[in-house]
Amino acid sequence: MSGFEQTIRGWAVDPAVGREGAAEVVVRDGTLARLTWLEGAEADGISATGTLILPGLMDIHAHFREPGNEDAETVATGLAAAAHGGFTTVALMPNTTPAIDEPSVVARIRAAAAASGSPVRTLIYGSVTAGRRGETLSAMGELADAGVVGFSDDGASVRSASLLRNALMYAGSLGLPIVDHPEDSSLTEGAEAHEGLIASVLGLKGWPSAAEAGSIARSIAILEDVVRDVPGARLHLTHVSTTEGLEAVFAGLGKGLPVTSDVTPHHLAFTDEWIAGARRWSWDVPRGADAQTIDPWVSGGIVAPPFDPSLRVNPPLRSPDDASACWVHLAMGTAVAIATDHAPHTEVDKHVEFGWAINGISGIETALSVVLAGVAAGQLPLMKAVAALTTGPAFVLGDRAGIAPGLREGEPADLVVVDAGATWTVSAASLRSKGKNTPLLGRELPGVVRLVLAGGRVAYAEG
Amino acid sequence: MSTGSDRPEGATPAPVHWAHKHLLDVDGLTRPDIELVMRTADEMHDVLARPIPKVPALRGLGVTILFYEASTRTRVSFEVAAKNLSADVVNIAAASSSVSKGESLVDTVRTVEALGADMIVMRHNVSGAPYLAAEIFGGSVLNGGDGWHAHPSQALLDLYTLRSRLPGGSLEGRKVVILGDALHSRVARSNIWTLTAMGADLWLCGPSTLLRGYDAWAAAGAAGRRFTVTSDVGAALRDADAVMALRIQKERMASGLLPSLREYAARYGLTAERLRAAKPEVIVMHPGPMNEGVEIAADVAAGPHSVVTDQVSNGVAVRMALLYLLAGTRRTEAGA
Repeated sequence: MSGFEQTIRGWAVDPAVGREGAAEVVVRDGTLARLTWLEGAEADGISATGTLILPGLMDIHAHFREPGNEDAETVATGLAAAAHGGFTTVALMPNTTPAIDEPSVVARIRAAAAASGSPVRTLIYGSVTAGRRGETLSAMGELADAGVVGFSDDGASVRSASLLRNALMYAGSLGLPIVDHPEDSSLTEGAEAHEGLIASVLGLKGWPSAAEAGSIARSIAILEDVVRDVPGARLHLTHVSTTEGLEAVFAGLGKGLPVTSDVTPHHLAFTDEWIAGARRWSWDVPRGADAQTIDPWVSGGIVAPPFDPSLRVNPPLRSPDDASACWVHLAMGTAVAIATDHAPHTEVDKHVEFGWAINGISGIETALSVVLAGVAAGQLPLMKAVAALTTGPAFVLGDRAGIAPGLREGEPADLVVVDAGATWTVSAASLRSKGKNTPLLGRELPGVVRLVLAGGRVAYAEG
Repeated sequence: MSTGSDRPEGATPAPVHWAHKHLLDVDGLTRPDIELVMRTADEMHDVLARPIPKVPALRGLGVTILFYEASTRTRVSFEVAAKNLSADVVNIAAASSSVSKGESLVDTVRTVEALGADMIVMRHNVSGAPYLAAEIFGGSVLNGGDGWHAHPSQALLDLYTLRSRLPGGSLEGRKVVILGDALHSRVARSNIWTLTAMGADLWLCGPSTLLRGYDAWAAAGAAGRRFTVTSDVGAALRDADAVMALRIQKERMASGLLPSLREYAARYGLTAERLRAAKPEVIVMHPGPMNEGVEIAADVAAGPHSVVTDQVSNGVAVRMALLYLLAGTRRTEAGA
């Protein structure tokens, strides 16, 4: 990097200080040497619809499949995909094979990240339970010593209430959060699609909202019990997708409990209508007092064949009203983060009958574009959206993660330059991830990432 | 019945109005499409009345019957229909396999195509599976029933049977009741589209656990198609023109949806007593196989109102019509 100097002009957004506006950033030898907020004539022609300069994005929910399923993704391809998506920090879920339930697996992933040469920071979760089997606690203390940033059995909830209680206490005393996947599996056995009009018409087994809301209410009740003894206990609920689930989180926050949550780009932008063959964004679904207007067969929304297995995901794509609730609760702070739940899969696992397709959407490279599309449509102010991709996720992981996104002079440059006014077309070739399992293939999206600097090094540069 | 009964004979010109390459669902069928199926089935019905019920319409065409789920009547009905049209029929009874074991559907369809199939008739226990087959296969896919989703040929043969029995052959304003386990029923879902398209006053009746989701559908009125959902069997059967009882499976008790078969029979079974609330000339239907004494009493199943055997024989005519119409689009494509 020696002798390297670059000057970037654009609309800078820094949620760390709550400021956005026309700015000039100078990066010298990997350091953010100068940030100048431009005034008057100097700011002419610079707007939030053109070049954006954002702190490096942070994804607290990604699956890179290594070890165990390197056909779907490796740490190296996952990090390349993250950088292409504007992310300079990723936190990896422990549902690998073997699961990340003891320190040697952590070391192995660290080694793979180092070998990749990527400057994107790799954070790692340990599993809550040994082998993610939901029976006994993982080697939590040793995992904490090895530097994990939290514990999760993602893919399933910690089913036993008593084990969750112990996990919250034990992790809390280590200063680490439990990241729970809220799902009451007794309500979702064999479930295929959000319970509602679409599942009913298509003959897909319904996945009720109550499975999520019930699980969240239970976990929060346990948290309330635990914090009396262990004030450091913290619960994060990931990929909350329903109105009822978000309201349950909101109720927990109202009691002043240490609970946080995130939502995903796909639950913000896609809906269960897509399974019927609709492809309009959640915010483009016509809605009114008359329930008929949200019926895609009536409102002319059907443009593709039904049952596209790339849409099979856990939690399932929800109704347009649920998607709206995700945006509203982001604005309210019920959800502090947007997390991708990047879930790459092979064609063998995904290009099969809808009900047999493995759950998950490859999303780390389209997340920023999808969020920017929502921002352009007025779903959320740009500042809030950027916060949900930077400072919000950092808040969830807390001080132990040691990440403080922001545009600060004198620190190693950690930023993303994205052209909000340009578009790109998603294709198998354009995705760095091995997982091509996204319903956005062929779709033109706003927001072209031009440059990503992570910890002062170039993680991605266009061209 | 049609008078031009020998049209399927000989070279058989391609029908002009049929534009569907596949028949995966009935939701895309317009009223004229359905009328064309009915007229063609009339012609096939006449063919079946001949001493040798066979025409060469599909000679040289390979029809593969690919069933991933146990079935006797639908499979045999399709086989008889295809053979009556002189197609070369191959039967594949694929054991219901998960993706992790055995050949994937994509590979199977490619293999079937390489072996010369022009059409696939497919039965699968996963909703939507025929759409995947249609994405891969160069020829036509005819959905012989997928999961809980659709059973187009059954809905069309039900409609054909109703038309042949109702005065004037019209469903307009006729009260038709589907009674039983609609939740798990592809027959119910397909009948919703076809019967409402033809103007019937459709009612779905059963215990609330087996009607889950239909309220949302009825309220939305997908594509303007409205019906009534109720657990009140008396209200449903009152002055009904036709009742279609659906099979109750024993698994429904294990999954906690029903207390017992006995209780179901007592509360929702189609008995002669209950049927008195319907119109005197009410038509009784069942897609089969029947659990006599559970969803339908034996004397009703075999009684004067029952058209269950008509449904079976009409099934062959309707399936001949569907194969014939799909083969027509295939020829149109080849000739274009």
